[in-house]
Amino acid sequence: MARTWRALGALLSYPTEELQVATAEIAAVLADEAIVPAKQRTAIDKLLTELATTDMYELQERYFTLFDRNRSLSLHLFEHVHGESRDRGQAMADLIALYASHGLEMTASELPDFLPLFLEFLSLLPDAEARALLAEPAAILRALADRLAARDTAYAAVIDALAELAQAPSVGRSEIPDEDPTDLVALDAAWEETAVRFGPGEMTDGCSTDRLRTRLRASMRDARAAA
Amino acid sequence: MSHFLDRLTFFRKQVDTFADGHGVVTDEPRAWEDAYRKRWQHDKIVRSTHGVNCTGSCSWKIYVKGGIVTWETQQTDYPRTRPDMPNHEPRGCSRGASYSWYLYSANRLKHPMVRGRLLKLWREARAIRTPVAAWASIVEDPAKRASYTSKRGLGGFVRASWDEINEIIAAANAYTVKTYGPDRVIGFSPIPAMSMVSYAAGSRYLSLLGGVCMSFYDWYCDLPPASPMTWGEQTDVPESADWYNAGFLMLWGSNVPQTRTPDAHFYTEVRYKGTKSVVVSPDYAEATKFADLWLHPKQGTDAALALAMGHVMLREFHLDRSVPYFADYARRYTDLPMLVRLVRQGEHYVPERLLRAADFADALGETNNADWKTVALDADGKPVAPLGSIGFRWGEQGKWNLQSKGSSGADVALRLTLGNDAPTASVAFPYFGGTAPHDFTATDHPDVLPRNLPTHRVMLKDGETLVATVFDLFCANYGLDRGFGGDNVAYDYDDDKPFTPAWAERVTGVPRAHIIHVARMFAANAEKTNGRSMVILGAGLNHWYHMDMAYRGIINLLVLCGCIGQSGGGWSHYVGQEKLRPQTGWQPVAFALDWNRPPRQQNSTSFFYAHTDQWRYETLNVAGILSPTAPRGDWNGSLIDYNVRAERMGWLPSAPQLKQNPLTIAAQAKAAGMEVKDYVAQSLSTPPPLAGGEPAPDLIRGWGEGAAPPLELSCHDPDDPVNWPRNLFVWRSNLLGSSGKGHEYFLKHLLGTKNGVLGKDLGAEGGDKPREVVWHEEAPEGKLDLLVTLDFRMSTTCIYSDIVLPTATWYEKNDLNTSDMHPFIHPLSSAVDPAWESRSDWDIYKGIAKAFSAVAPEVLGVETDVVLTPVLHDTAAELAQPFDVRDWKRGEIEPVPGRTMPNVAVVERDYPNLYARFTSLGPLLEKLGNGGKGIGWNTQHEIDFLRTLNGAAPNGQPKLETDIDAIEAILSLAPETNGEVAVKAWEALGKVTGQAHAHLAVAKEDEKIRFRDIVAQPRKIISSPTWSGIESEKVCYNAGYTNVHELIPWRTLTGRQQLYQDHLWMRAFGEAFVTWRPPIDTKALAPVQGKHGNGNPEIALNFITPHQKWGIHSTYSDNLLMLTLNRGGPVIWLSEDDAHRAGIADNDWVEAYNANGALVARAVVSQRVNPGMALMYHAQEKIVNVPGSEVTGQRGGIHNSVTRAVLKPTHMIGGYAQQSYGFNYYGTVGSNRDEFIIVRRMSNVDWLDAPLAEKEAV
Repeated sequence: MARTWRALGALLSYPTEELQVATAEIAAVLADEAIVPAKQRTAIDKLLTELATTDMYELQERYFTLFDRNRSLSLHLFEHVHGESRDRGQAMADLIALYASHGLEMTASELPDFLPLFLEFLSLLPDAEARALLAEPAAILRALADRLAARDTAYAAVIDALAELAQAPSVGRSEIPDEDPTDLVALDAAWEETAVRFGPGEMTDGCSTDRLRTRLRASMRDARAAA
Repeated sequence: MSHFLDRLTFFRKQVDTFADGHGVVTDEPRAWEDAYRKRWQHDKIVRSTHGVNCTGSCSWKIYVKGGIVTWETQQTDYPRTRPDMPNHEPRGCSRGASYSWYLYSANRLKHPMVRGRLLKLWREARAIRTPVAAWASIVEDPAKRASYTSKRGLGGFVRASWDEINEIIAAANAYTVKTYGPDRVIGFSPIPAMSMVSYAAGSRYLSLLGGVCMSFYDWYCDLPPASPMTWGEQTDVPESADWYNAGFLMLWGSNVPQTRTPDAHFYTEVRYKGTKSVVVSPDYAEATKFADLWLHPKQGTDAALALAMGHVMLREFHLDRSVPYFADYARRYTDLPMLVRLVRQGEHYVPERLLRAADFADALGETNNADWKTVALDADGKPVAPLGSIGFRWGEQGKWNLQSKGSSGADVALRLTLGNDAPTASVAFPYFGGTAPHDFTATDHPDVLPRNLPTHRVMLKDGETLVATVFDLFCANYGLDRGFGGDNVAYDYDDDKPFTPAWAERVTGVPRAHIIHVARMFAANAEKTNGRSMVILGAGLNHWYHMDMAYRGIINLLVLCGCIGQSGGGWSHYVGQEKLRPQTGWQPVAFALDWNRPPRQQNSTSFFYAHTDQWRYETLNVAGILSPTAPRGDWNGSLIDYNVRAERMGWLPSAPQLKQNPLTIAAQAKAAGMEVKDYVAQSLSTPPPLAGGEPAPDLIRGWGEGAAPPLELSCHDPDDPVNWPRNLFVWRSNLLGSSGKGHEYFLKHLLGTKNGVLGKDLGAEGGDKPREVVWHEEAPEGKLDLLVTLDFRMSTTCIYSDIVLPTATWYEKNDLNTSDMHPFIHPLSSAVDPAWESRSDWDIYKGIAKAFSAVAPEVLGVETDVVLTPVLHDTAAELAQPFDVRDWKRGEIEPVPGRTMPNVAVVERDYPNLYARFTSLGPLLEKLGNGGKGIGWNTQHEIDFLRTLNGAAPNGQPKLETDIDAIEAILSLAPETNGEVAVKAWEALGKVTGQAHAHLAVAKEDEKIRFRDIVAQPRKIISSPTWSGIESEKVCYNAGYTNVHELIPWRTLTGRQQLYQDHLWMRAFGEAFVTWRPPIDTKALAPVQGKHGNGNPEIALNFITPHQKWGIHSTYSDNLLMLTLNRGGPVIWLSEDDAHRAGIADNDWVEAYNANGALVARAVVSQRVNPGMALMYHAQEKIVNVPGSEVTGQRGGIHNSVTRAVLKPTHMIGGYAQQSYGFNYYGTVGSNRDEFIIVRRMSNVDWLDAPLAEKEAV
């Protein structure tokens, strides 16, 4: 049971004066527990400094613009897996059941897949179990980290740390197709739908290739294009 | 051996395989099946619907699991129809089926938010000041104010608590009420029928405050002014099930399968029954698949087509052969037998107003309202004033009905025509088709067409006068040769004379044989079936500037064939979900009529035209639309001048009303020792002080030294800061992303932020400036102090707001929904609690009301408000100005409140108790009763019932704490949902008509529909006199049914379907009769043509903005499921020819622009579209996949970036029977189809996604 998870969750929450005051405590916890590797901790320090020293309105506007106004940077994990699919409801219901099986009940008016909430849950689990659970959304964390890095924001450090802890394979930025918004031919190719065929395996439900392709495309979409 | 013991008695051995080895038995775990089981497992199913302006009102099952909405499916338990009729279900469409996505979408609004800069200013000010003083310190400092208003649309939101935000709003409202007046607090919310309690929450708050509720139906251009003109009714139509009763169906400018998806099945089904179907649509719209014959006139020329069909019907079914049913119908239910005065104009006569009983020396024996009783000739040639005209409606009882009787009770048989033996006269009719803009066809006919017709001389009190029947004038107007000699009439359909089929072929491009064929089939079917021919029509026609012509042209076809009021026949105008069935129960709750009357209600088109300063850019000259036969008079001035005249003559409402704070006027009147009414009238008509500070020469009585300056109407100076709207609430609406015609003008003048207006105003252009309105050289930018938007998603409007409040979605609140498409009343019910911090609209406004009551005492107590209202339809005051138009401002008549100028009412506002009033049902219902549309009844019993059902509030009144309390109040007070009230209402109407109507409801007297009843199953409403159709087990709901079958008059001047509009302004603008008016020239191309070249060819196209397939207006247009079905962003459709001309390939990014602004979209190049027009589904939001415009440098733009509202003077008429103002009933409309755009391919697609450092990103 590590407080690191809660610390990281706090950093990803809407900035408040309370958080501003707690930056030193967060830094201490991260250092004490040393779960986050040193390299990532250094990066997080930059965010901590920013949180401690920047005007609160500026911080809040920044957070809103980053996380509340951007589908591609949503901190709700299932936004990236299920998007607007009807599977999302079931996935959330499953997550609530998981929390309940650990004797936990959600009190905040948040959805169960909200990353800081999920991290708080991890903080209540034995370390190995927490890491195993964190590994499940590893790919999402890696994609988020890369998208944030592309935006030059200090928040990238937190997600990068999580991706690291989740042992998400580092694909490296170069492997994310660098969508050039002015290259219309490439954009069209990326968005082109496959022709409809009436036969097995071609529906967008279940594990069909179409569905896989759609999801891959969505996850690989350049963060900058999805304003 | 018997093998007895070899057999197993209690077991059998499990086999490994079966079915010849095709099946194998295994005992592996079956947990994998859970995936399938979970797919359909749920904790509960809740009934709700989608509160969006689609007219669907479809029943849906919302599945909830673990407190999460997981999916929805169509509900299939509607009450059954009759044998031989298809049932209503299943209802629903792909858009509704994807709604559950919105609940948890990344685009959902989760927390109350406020512009960061504003919040910072507020907290700094609030730390040392009281709330109202804190707000004053911000908005009275121009630099502070501009620091947030100029950043609208540029991001910068932060979260704040509900309490803090409510206090900001309350302080802003209180400050505005105190400083400028409550009529500077404005609220816009459309379509109450789609979630009437949510609408009522905001309108109740505003009405208690004295704020202004804005109309939507006219602003959306969904209101067909032809309906109030012809029937005195906003809109009343057959339900979609009645399509199944039609024998001949025309679909005209309406795209049923796409925009009425859940109803389209009735259309399909009736075709199996053998009904013929003709579809009129310029493009190959989805609905054309229904057609047996597809007519595709040039867009905007529908009136010409309808006129030619009318020409054929009159010729073959009224003149050469008279169908008895049609003639009888015309005699009893239309104004065709009425007499019209003819007056000399040059060498010819022109038709003047309808003859009235008062014109006769003996007033034909009429002592009550003789000015308002129209006259016809009886079979014996004697003039009579038949029952039913509006004079009989007020001031006497029992004679307002459509029996063929005169006032004395004697039977009459009115003459339709004066016949072949009567002396003829040459009467001039205007013709507007001689000139036409752009590529519309002009014909070479003169602009005045004299035609001979039979006349009659009658002796009136001021001498002998020539008259003619409406019917004879009507036939002449259609250009029918009846053997009276003279020119401009035709016998042969091939003659090119207005309005023959040959002429129409030239104007519309539709072959004359098709026109003749359709007209014949339509009428022949109506003849055989007594009127079962129907026309479904819609936005395709109604959004043109001269929509009245197309509409009246079509209405005439239906009336000539006796189809209105007959099952399976009629006028099916489906544009907007306007039908709020329990209207009379809802109004007291919505407009706080239980606490104070009258409410402030404003027609939005005129309001936004003035306050977004679109009038400063007006290009349409009144002279250009005036009739060549206009009566002599002063027809000068610009469009806003006409609106100002209409406001001061009591025709249209004003907001704000007076330059002075209306809370200060009662005191001034008292100081002057006058009644408030008289004081306002006198003070307004007193000349203002002369320049140089000298007092006016004749001060009014009671004024001494230091007396208040004379009152002034705000409409004369909308740009004066004291007349600006200051606070604007927008809820249940996307005003800036969808409905705001002249989008860029909104951004520039109302909001004061970055905008894409490309043209220059009249000052810079040196154009003719208005005469009645003050011109400021420097136009104001940023009139609003505060823009508050309530929504569940981050819409374009939210992006531009100062405060954004997250509302509950349609699965998270309790509410009511009704539609004109089916007769059921429908719930929205709360399947789950509102997610995140969102709240229902009811709770949000309740919270604001509470905060306001807490803040108000700082500056407000119990105040006396003076409210101006126009002369209202369905009140006795509608008999205000019977003959002429006289303006008190010009000294032509005395200013008399409620007659020649707006009515003046004194209303007490108890600001500290606003919350207590909001949450309880006030005493006025017990004191004054309830009612609507001109009738009233005692409703004490219902109030007593509610006091028991909801409980009593501390003030002793029935509680309105919760949304369900409000729902129960609406359902209990409305005749549609409470049979006891229905019987009372019918009895009240029976007193006026002298007929017994209660039989329509008496069987349902004990039926009381409550909220839990409709949650269990949608319920059919009870027949009520609010509506002109009935709910029965024998016929479907059909408008006009009770007029025809119960002899209840239409609420018009003649009491009949009125095809002749005799108001002076109707005649002046050439629309007394229907005629052909080509589209107007908005002149929006010249200022930009060739000025923004990027090297690609530019082409000019007509800009058509129909309803889309993948969204309902802007809702769902940010839904990725729906976007995926189309092209993932905004598109504009072009014909192959035009695309080729402009070098545009399918899917290219193109830009469309004109003087109003610019938009970007991808091109869909398709054979569907006619050359000459571009088709852009409206309300594709600029928040999804919209790059920047090369022309403006701003993000894309929406479809309304290239439009501008243009007013029409005939829509301003008031104080005149059916042409009197009513909220969402009559008024100026926001047409936009006449606009032209330049389309060209883009060279650079810039996504404007540079870092925020540049402060440009949206």
